[in-house]
Formats: sequence, structure tokens, C-alpha cells
Amino acid sequence: MNLKKYDFTRQRIRRLIVAGLFILISLIILSGVYRKWGFHRQKKIVVGVFAGSYWGIENGYYYRILDEAINRFRQNHPDYEVVYTSGILKSDYPEWLAEQILEGEEPDLYFIPGKDLDTFARIGALHSLDDLIEKDSSFDPSSFYPSAYQAGFLYDHQLALPYECAPRMMFVNKTILDAEGIGLPDTNWTWDDFLTICRKVTRSTDGSGVIDQFGAYGYTWQDAFRANGAEVPDQDGNSCDFTARPVGEAISFLDRLNSLSSGYVVSNADFSNGNVVFQPMLFSEYRAYKSKELSLKKYSGFEWDCVTMPAGPSGDNVSDLDTLCVGMSHKTSHEKEVWELMKTLTFDREIQEKIFDYSEGISPLSSVTESEQTAKMIRQGTGSRFNMDTLSNAMDKSIVPRYFKGYEEINEQISIAVRSILDSSSNLQMEQIIWNRKLNSYLKNLDR
Amino acid sequence: MAEKPLELYRDYIEGEPGDILLAPGIIFREMQFLNVLILFVITVVTVHAQRGYIHNGSALSFLVNCGAVPVLFWKLPVCVMILILCLLLLLSIPCNNHPELVIKLLLEYGISIWISALTGFGYTGMVMLLLADAMRYRIDWKKRIAYIIVICVFYVAMSGSFFKSALNVIPIDQMWSYYRVDVRNMFLGILNMLALVNTLIFVLYMVVLTLSQTSEKERILRLNSQLQVANRKLEEYAEEQVRMTETKERNRLAREIHDTLGHSLTGIITGIEACIMLMDIAPEATKEQLRAIAEVARNGITDVRHSVNALRPDALENLDFEQALVKLVEESGKSTGVRIDFSFPGTLKNLDQDEEDVIYRIVQESITNAIRHGRASHIMIRITHSSNDIHIHIADNGKGCNDVHSGFGLHHMKERVEMLKGTISWNGENGFVIDATVPIRVDTEEDS
Repeated sequence: MNLKKYDFTRQRIRRLIVAGLFILISLIILSGVYRKWGFHRQKKIVVGVFAGSYWGIENGYYYRILDEAINRFRQNHPDYEVVYTSGILKSDYPEWLAEQILEGEEPDLYFIPGKDLDTFARIGALHSLDDLIEKDSSFDPSSFYPSAYQAGFLYDHQLALPYECAPRMMFVNKTILDAEGIGLPDTNWTWDDFLTICRKVTRSTDGSGVIDQFGAYGYTWQDAFRANGAEVPDQDGNSCDFTARPVGEAISFLDRLNSLSSGYVVSNADFSNGNVVFQPMLFSEYRAYKSKELSLKKYSGFEWDCVTMPAGPSGDNVSDLDTLCVGMSHKTSHEKEVWELMKTLTFDREIQEKIFDYSEGISPLSSVTESEQTAKMIRQGTGSRFNMDTLSNAMDKSIVPRYFKGYEEINEQISIAVRSILDSSSNLQMEQIIWNRKLNSYLKNLDR
Repeated sequence: MAEKPLELYRDYIEGEPGDILLAPGIIFREMQFLNVLILFVITVVTVHAQRGYIHNGSALSFLVNCGAVPVLFWKLPVCVMILILCLLLLLSIPCNNHPELVIKLLLEYGISIWISALTGFGYTGMVMLLLADAMRYRIDWKKRIAYIIVICVFYVAMSGSFFKSALNVIPIDQMWSYYRVDVRNMFLGILNMLALVNTLIFVLYMVVLTLSQTSEKERILRLNSQLQVANRKLEEYAEEQVRMTETKERNRLAREIHDTLGHSLTGIITGIEACIMLMDIAPEATKEQLRAIAEVARNGITDVRHSVNALRPDALENLDFEQALVKLVEESGKSTGVRIDFSFPGTLKNLDQDEEDVIYRIVQESITNAIRHGRASHIMIRITHSSNDIHIHIADNGKGCNDVHSGFGLHHMKERVEMLKGTISWNGENGFVIDATVPIRVDTEEDS
């Protein structure tokens, strides 16, 4: 019998070592550690940014604030080069960013629109800032508006910092209110006040009998749900309680509000022409269209101002907050420097003050937004006696919606549900139960 | 756990000369090749799809849908190929015992999961390779089935969704959703088909492996019978050798007798015949002649003595009788491991050579018989001395013998003893007992 006895220990060890080497090489390649090694490391930070204002208003100061922030950063880090690709449109930006990520060439630091933040956080493209924040004694999260800061807190980590933001507020046509002898609503006003005013102003002004002055335009079910604390679906979008009392209240409020115009569908043009008292809008639009340069373009035929959103019986004067955040790539090899640049952009008072010069949003830093200087600037810019308490009130009660995967789809479904309930004449609670079942089964089957 | 070293099947690689293509080792290699091919196809298609998303401008929706950043396009094929090489390397390392095999299998399983995770768990068939590898060893069926069950459980676990969700892997059909549905289904179909081919090859491998194990058993039986034939031939040869030695010895004796006794006797006869003729004519010359004859006879006896001396055992030639006996007993005991008790009176001197020879031969032959035929482990030898004779008692604890063959040398012993007018008797019922009595001559003849 010619049985072999395996005595090639040496050969075995050699093979084991080679196998181990292979594993090591794979680990190095996959983890991308090699990018942090000297020969591969360049002192260069790439910033991902889009052209134009986040608020959709072409103001010509595309990169002004960023350039100043980079200059400031380079004063402390003269050996670092900071570059960005200019000319990417805001509409193309998320796709551009996604392509960069697929190519493995994502910027070290990038701006993320609020709606896309969840996507980039979920795919793990963002570096957790928890450690950096904890180690950095000069950084104080409480300087930010809590809700704005919370916007960057996703999947149990602080993944982004707010760069600028704007709450959704109620625009008021003061001309009509003055004419009707109604005072500006205070910051704690409710649906009842809202409805009362609307009822008062909804009438025919020329005596023809055709209603030509309306209470509200663009007050959506989202606004109503938000105002009444009806969270449908829940924060993570896993389930929804459509039968809850706040939902019912919100829907019946919308029903009452809509019925005022007796079938006439109020349009944006009605507001532009000064025939509507209320329209919810982002604060950035207030700043944009109130500013002297743009005031001729829109909403110029009447006096207008903005107040907080009205509160529902089960809710509060809550505003949706739209934010533009900055995040750090999970692949960056210059953590500290990118963090410094992020801080310069979001936490540096002087840079943040520039938001009021070159952008239409407001600073997420409460001390900047609520400073005398800012108030002065807003008043100067808008030419009105804007009450800064309104803004700080709105900011304090603002909520950043979570744009989880399927957000658009489920919102579309809820829209359909609300519209169909409003259109039908059957029992509200029955409808709620029926739609609750439909919506939950839709959520369950949503591909996530 | 590892009482016996593991061994590979001998004809694992070689196979029978006729069916070289069907040797398990060859099939195993074909399986390895197929696995490399499958993984290569998967990575190529995946990379193509990934590039396609960028090309199509659907990178963002891809990222939204898969919820993870996929492995960078160039890293995927590189790492998968490195890892599959690593797996093949591990597969080629032979194990000497079960712990080694278990550790090796675990390592291989880990790498398989890694590879599967990289390729979106589109293919998990490499676990078949592990199973095939484990089956190469000579393991008894109980352990073999345990190995099969454990590996199969691992295989099922891998194909399930556990690792997919735990490792946050992008499923392969998600990756390939870039393609039109029919194209994607075709790719998935090809993949499934290749996986099926892999399974079929594995089944073939198991069948061939089992067959080759059976054929190996047959060969062992064949070899065994060949060995028996050879053994029998060897015995025959040994017997012939004995016979030849006897013949040789007889021839030598004959020559010796012819040369010495024959020569002397011829001279004596010739001389005596001359004497007969001379006796009456010249009595004096006859006397002279007879003296000469006596001289010849004396020379003859000297020659005979020399010849007999030449036939004596070496030990008796070189040592005195007692020492020779002690040496014989000690050496026999030492070389065979049998305990031999030996006692004799201290007065075994003054024996004639032929008497010494007979006693020596009896002791020698008895020990040989006891060991060879009786398989005794204990032999007792007692030699006692009375005034006229020497008594030899030899007993062993062997299996004894009821009918005595002449081949045992007892016959010779008897002849020798009877030549000295002694007696010998034996009893083979309870062990084997020999009793011999050899009378001692009182020395009358003077030595010359």
C-alpha cells in the first residue's frame, strides 16, 4: 500500500501564509485604508456643492459664502487645497453626488438637500460625526436650533450639520386684513382663529355675489396634520395610525376650510393678485420676495407679512423646517480637516451671518438668527417691521420631516385618502378605518 | 478527538488507469474551475450594471433602492478573484486531523460568505466545494455524516436571508435591475443553470468518490491474497533451504568420513592383508607392519577426532561446557523474550565431547521446540548429576503436542541419546516435558 503521509508541514504553512496574505489584501482594498497611506494622500479637500441658491432663487451669489469659508479655513490650514466643481445645477446635484459615490470619487465634504439626507445616510455614505463632536470642546451643539441640529441626526448618529434652513410659515395679506379690520394673528393662534378670519374674509367684494376674496390657499393636509400633531405615517414610516383622533380633526378642519369657498378652487394667481389672505410658504420666500431687488416680481400689489402656522386643537404652532446640511464622506482621509471646514461653514458666526447677505435662508445658529444685527438686516432688506419673535417662535416649534424611503409614495397615498374622504359624504370615522387598512397594507408592501 | 490521522484516498488523483477523466480529484478540479467561472461572470455583469447606472443617470434611484453603497466597480472583480484564489488555496491544504479540518472548513466557510456577500448572495454554490473537500478524507461514516449535515446547515443558512440582512448586502437582482426585465431574467437564469451544473458535478463527484472507495477495498482484498501466496512460497522456500542444508551437511560428512576414516581404513586393510601374507614368512616384519598399521589407525582416530571437532557447535568449541550451556540459555531467552529457568549442578566437568554434545543438543533442541512449536513463554531446565549418569528434565508451559512429528528433532535426539546408551522420554499433554538420562563413562582411554 503506497499511502502517503502528509508531512509537508512546510508547504502547508506556506499556503496558509499566502491565503492569509490574500485575505489581508482583500481587506485593504475593500476598506480603502490605503487611501490614508502617505503616498496616496494628498492635502486636498474636495467639496460637493451645487450652483445657485438652495431656495430656488437665482441671486448670483452662488459660491460667495463657500469661497469665504474656504479662505477662512485656509488661513488655519495653508497647506490644504480646497476644490469644488462649479456649475452643477441643484436639480442635477443629487444624481451627480450618487454617480460620484458609485465611481468612488465622492467629495470629502458635501452639501445635502434635506430631502436627500436620509438616502445618503441610509446607504452609509456619511461619516458619523459623534466622535469628532465629542472630542471638540470648541463645538457646542446647543448653539444650533434643536430641530435644525436634529435634522442631521439619523440612524442613531449625528451624520450632518445644518448649514442653513427655513421654516414653513403662514403668509398674510395685510392689505385685506386691514380692509376687513382684522388684526394680525398672534404667534399662538389656532385653527379657530384661522377659520374665523377665513370665514370673515371669504366674500364677494364687488357685490356681484361671486366670491372673489378668499381665506387661504395652499394649506395642505400635511400642514393640517402637522399642526394637529397627527404623525402619519410614524417617524420611520413603518406604520401609520390613520384612525387617530388628530387625523379626524385635521380632516374635518380641512373640510370646513374648503367648504368656505363653496366649490371654487383657489389658485396661486389669486394670492399673487392679492385676493387671498393666507398662504403657507417657506420663510426663504418671504425674504426673497420681500427684498428690494425682487419685490417687483411677485406679490407686489399688496402689503404682506408672515406669522407662525396656526395650531390645531391637539397640536401646536408647528412648522416644517427645510434644511440644507453639510456632511462628511465616509471615505474621507482628512477627517480632522474636513471637520474644521464643516465647522467653519456651519458653526462660524461670521460665515453664518453671510447667509443673511447672500442667501434667503436663515442661519441654524440661534445666536446669529436672533441677533440685533440680523433683525436689522431683515428689516432693512424686507422694508417691513418684521417681528423677530415670530421667527424664533417658529424655529423653536419647527419639525424636520424624515424623508425615509418611500416617503413620496406613501404621502401620495395619504393625499389620495384625504382627498377621497373630503370628496365623499360618508361617515368620517368609517372612512378613516377603511383607509387605515389600505394605507397600512400599502406600507407593508412598499419595497424597502 | 483525533486519535487517528486523516488520510486522503490514495487514488484520489490518479484514478484507475482506464478512467482518468473520472477520478474524483479531476472532478473536484473541474468544480473549482466552474466556481471561478461563475463568480467571474457575476462580477463582470455586476460591474457592467453599475457602470450602466452612471451612464443612464439613474445612480441616485439605484442608491435609494439598494440602501447601501455598493463595492466600487474595480474593487469587486479584483477582490472576488483574490478571495476565490484564497479559497482554492485553502482547499488544497491537506489536514492531518479533525481539529485541523474543522478550522479549515470554518475558514473556508467564512471566505465563502465573504465572496457571496460581495456578489450579492447571487451564488452560494462554493459551499459544495467545502463539502467535496471534506469528503476527500478517510472518515468513518458517522463523522462523515456529521460533517455533511453541518456543512449543509451552513449552506442553507447562507442561502437564506440571514446574512443578506445582517451584512446589509445589496441583492444581486437589485444590482442587476439596471437591465431590462427579460435580460435580467436571462442572466439570473444562466446563473441558476451554472449553479445547477455545479450541483450536478458535485453529485457526480460523490458517486465517483464512493465507487473509487469500493474499488480500493477490492484492491486491498486482492493485495491480501497476493500476500498470502507470497507467504506460502516463502515457507516452501524455507523448507527447501532446510533440506538443502541437510543434504549439504550429509555430503560434507560423507566426504569427511571418506577422507579420514576411508583413507585410514584402506591403509589398515592393505596393511593387514600384507600382514596375513607375511605372518608365516617373516613374523618380525609382520610385527613391524602391524606397528605401522597401529600408527595408521591412531592417525585415523586423530583425524576422526578432528573431523568431529569440526562438526561441534561453536560455543562448545570455544567455551567450556558449562559456560556454553549458560550462554545458550541466556541468548535464547534474550532473543525470544521467553523466561528460561536453568539449574545444573556445578560438577558438569570431565564429560566426554560426545556426551557434552548430546546434552547441549538436547537443551538446544528442546528450547527451539518449546518456542517454535509450543509457543511457550516459560521454560524450566534442570540438569542433575548422579554417580553414573546425568538426568535432564526440561518442561515448558506451551501448548504441548499429542502426536509427535519426526520433524521436531526428537528423533535425532533419541538417536543421539541411544548412541550413548541413554534413555529419553517425552510427554506433550500438559506443556511439553522431556526427560533424558545419559550414562557417563568413567574415563579409561587416555588422550593422545
